[in-house]
Amino acid sequence: MEYLFYSLAAVALISGALVVFQTHPLRSALWLIVNFFAVAGLYLLAHAEFIAAIQIIVYAGAIMVLFLFVIMLLNLRQPEEELARPRLGLKIAGITVAVLSAVLIGMGLAKVVLKPVTELPVGLGNTESVARLLFTDYLLPFEVTSVLLLVAIVGSVVLAKAKLR
Amino acid sequence: MVVPVNYYLGLSLALFTLGAIGVLIRRNILIILMCIEMMLNAVNLAFIGFADAFKAVDGQIFVFFVMTVAAAEVAVGLALVIAIYRNRATVYVDDLNILKW
Amino acid sequence: MLLSYLPILIYMVIAAGLVGLIVLLSELLGKKKHFPSKDMPYECGMDPIGDARSRYHVRFYVIAMFFIVFDVEAIFLYPWGVVFKQLGWFGFVEMAIFIFVLVVGLVYVWGKGALEWE
Repeated sequence: MEYLFYSLAAVALISGALVVFQTHPLRSALWLIVNFFAVAGLYLLAHAEFIAAIQIIVYAGAIMVLFLFVIMLLNLRQPEEELARPRLGLKIAGITVAVLSAVLIGMGLAKVVLKPVTELPVGLGNTESVARLLFTDYLLPFEVTSVLLLVAIVGSVVLAKAKLR
Repeated sequence: MVVPVNYYLGLSLALFTLGAIGVLIRRNILIILMCIEMMLNAVNLAFIGFADAFKAVDGQIFVFFVMTVAAAEVAVGLALVIAIYRNRATVYVDDLNILKW
Repeated sequence: MLLSYLPILIYMVIAAGLVGLIVLLSELLGKKKHFPSKDMPYECGMDPIGDARSRYHVRFYVIAMFFIVFDVEAIFLYPWGVVFKQLGWFGFVEMAIFIFVLVVGLVYVWGKGALEWE
């Protein structure tokens, strides 16, 4: 069972690295889909079945489709510009900052002693237990979500179709 | 629980760092947005790991809301990319230096 | 618990294997002859006009964006459907408010003419 975790983690990390270091955005987008699937597998391992399904529906199914549409919409040529200005110093600085802050967070996390709960309540993470909590305790965030989505609709229509009429 | 929660946290940290590196070193705004998605995913992974460790569904609910925010962010963010491309014909963030002086 | 996902795994393996097999077979068995007029996009006796990778219209973006937003609305409906009977009228009103706010958005885009394809 641990091997499943290790292999999924390896897939997630390798595809994540490929997202970052691919030259063409289209390839990055395709590797990001692989990354999302690996993370969905990790959710399954952690007994979050419903969330794993949602991950694939929303991220791999909807968000990446939008990304691919926009990449095709902008019709980017081979990224000669990205290669023409390497700016190696800035890249090294960026990687150093990110890795150092990760080491800092990791050192902080290593000190924390967690006492996990061992007994498994029935049906953790299935749709019903998520739903019961979502529609009772998290009532207000749920309703506010609809306003967020409304704002997203209005905002992106205004930005994208500014010259429609 | 298959593996200790620390493993999930470590993996989450590694993925978050990868995303941060992408945001810092890439100049293509689309790839930067994708790296932000990856960072959000890393945070979600930490939430799921904690939810599994403490046997509380609350962490999963948070992931639900994070995904909603991610969807809204992508919709508006990509609309901004299109608007920028229309006005400036570029997707490279260092060409967007009009506010710099 | 994870064992109940075994059918899905088998299904995925079969699907991936089938696709891989087909691609492999056509790679191995297919004839490969390259000459300039065959490598042209569209290959229909006409000289191609312009670029094969034409730019998509912004309409596609708008449609995909609506898909994302209403997809997220739909994933809230799944768990709601599961506990609908337990929640009763309370849950109904809750979801009615949620959907009402999004219907406002739908009316907005409709009025804006973003749904028209023309």
